Amino acid sequence: MKALFSVTFAVAGRQLRRFFGNITFLAPAAFPVFFFAAFAGGLSRVGDVPGFEFAAGYTAFQFVWALLQAVAMGGAFTGFAIAGDFESGFARRFLIAAPNRGGIILGYVFASLVRTTFTGSLVFIVAIIAGMEILGSGVDLFGLVGLALVVNVAATLFGCGVAMLLRTQQAGPLIQTPIFMLLFLAPVYVPLELLEGWLEMVASLNPLTAIITTGRSFIAGDPTGVPTAFLTAFSLVAVFLIWAYLGLRSAERSG
Amino acid sequence: MERSYGIEVENLVREFKKGPRAVDGVSLSVSPGEVYGFLGPNGAGKSTIVLMLTTLLPPTSGTARVAGFDIVKEGSGVRASIGAALQEAALDPFLTGREHMNLQASLHGLARKERKVRGDELLERVGLSEAAARRVRGYSGGMKRRLDLALALVHRPKILFLDEPTTGLDPQSRSALWDEVAHLAREDGVTVFLTTQYLEEADMLADRVGIIDEGRIVAEDTPEALKAEIGRPSVEATPADFGKLDAVSKVLGRFGEAVPASSGSAAVRLEHGDLATVVRALDAEGIEMANLQLNSPTLDDVFLEKTGRSLEGSSDGEESDG
Ligand SMILES: Nc1ncnc2c1ncn2[C@@H]1O[C@H](COP(=O)(O)OP(=O)(O)OP(=O)(O)O)[C@@H](O)[C@H]1O
Ligand SMILES: [Mg+2]
Repeated sequence: MKALFSVTFAVAGRQLRRFFGNITFLAPAAFPVFFFAAFAGGLSRVGDVPGFEFAAGYTAFQFVWALLQAVAMGGAFTGFAIAGDFESGFARRFLIAAPNRGGIILGYVFASLVRTTFTGSLVFIVAIIAGMEILGSGVDLFGLVGLALVVNVAATLFGCGVAMLLRTQQAGPLIQTPIFMLLFLAPVYVPLELLEGWLEMVASLNPLTAIITTGRSFIAGDPTGVPTAFLTAFSLVAVFLIWAYLGLRSAERSG
Repeated sequence: MERSYGIEVENLVREFKKGPRAVDGVSLSVSPGEVYGFLGPNGAGKSTIVLMLTTLLPPTSGTARVAGFDIVKEGSGVRASIGAALQEAALDPFLTGREHMNLQASLHGLARKERKVRGDELLERVGLSEAAARRVRGYSGGMKRRLDLALALVHRPKILFLDEPTTGLDPQSRSALWDEVAHLAREDGVTVFLTTQYLEEADMLADRVGIIDEGRIVAEDTPEALKAEIGRPSVEATPADFGKLDAVSKVLGRFGEAVPASSGSAAVRLEHGDLATVVRALDAEGIEMANLQLNSPTLDDVFLEKTGRSLEGSSDGEESDG
């Protein structure tokens, strides 16, 4: 156990050193922030659409999706970093020194979590500046933050698995694309009830839908579907944890 | 023989999917405290063996125990006992030397205070104290190699793997690294498994040398024994006065059979006596010498004998004179 944590903190420490050594560590927040700057004002009229009722207003409605995008992309970016470490051979240093190699995965996840705290906060600040209203209590916000962190862990584990399977920077698109698809095939601009046709069908199957919907209910101060959302998020973590371990096994076999 | 800090390899094989049998049934054993030199040309399978013994690559078949731990079933035991500097040093260009030391020490679970002390001590030892706060991106090839060696030593491993540690180093850095490796083996009792393409390096450092070619060990013994198998050394003498060449040949003839020499010189393969007795004999005849040298059979001669080929990049140019 002690060996596991030594490795975890060593890997995380180095990764954070890399992240904070460069301003681009905020990159996962870039798209959500841009999105706010560009659309939050103009799109607020969507709130007038018949059937759209969201107490906290359209900016808050969008914030939740933007936040989940930032944390999910944070996981993807960590995946890119892992792929880079395997491509350059630096990961061998971890593999050869770590008594417990599971600590390598945990270390990357931990670093990703710390990083996402920064990028998530940035999105939050920008949303506040853009005039977001928060109706939820502190406890509700805590729930939202919790959901976001679990999503970040799931995305990081997914990226980690792909990166360790492919061990080249070319893993990038294969990490990013599925995450983007999940994010966009969700109720992005309007609630699920207002979606129609195939998009509605896909969105209702998308695990992120439950998470986003509950996240929005937190900020509106009316939490709904909380157990389902957390169960979904933790299931994603469980599945991608296995996935990441498969990636690690593959990397172990490859030299 | 103590089993704990040695290496035992039995019939190790590694096949790559679209490649050759990179390692084709290698068996060897390295005793604790021994320096074992693995000598072979490009693509012989040296790195593949090192990767397997350091648990980075599983073998296709065969077994090996490192520090008493099975490389497949007890990988974490192996990893805790070994240090390794691989052929391509795994360094992060954006971290400093000291940050690397700290990282490596944390990976091995050293306490915070110890990390700092041990890191500084090793950086000093490999002459990187000055550069410790600089990013590795700006290090020279030799500095990277030395940092990699220091990193491998952080947790005081009992067994050290060095894959071509001096390739690409200038002669000065090379001999500094040799000193360091020799020190580790003699003073600290570290078992060293070292691969090299340089005959001289194997000869200088290794207690025993395994010559590997196309995935198989073709010869294995102490450097002296390997060379002795090939034959006795030869002496080549160049008189100051060209007219004395015949006289020189006559004196040399007392010590053994003549062998080809460069023009203006005479040479014999020594059957008895040594360089000193030859010098005394020439001196007794009052012949002034311009040059006198002892040419030992080299490991290259051994390699040539065993494989029918000469080792690449070794003393090619020099031998064609005769
Ligand atoms: N991952 C791999 N996939 C396929 N073939 C490989 C792989 N690694 C090594 N080989 C092949 O195995 C053989 C042995 O390679 P290895 O790297 O062990 O040689 P080496 O003795 O270390 O050579 P060098 O002195 O050039 O470092 C070579 O023919 C090489 O092409
Ligand atoms: Mg090699």
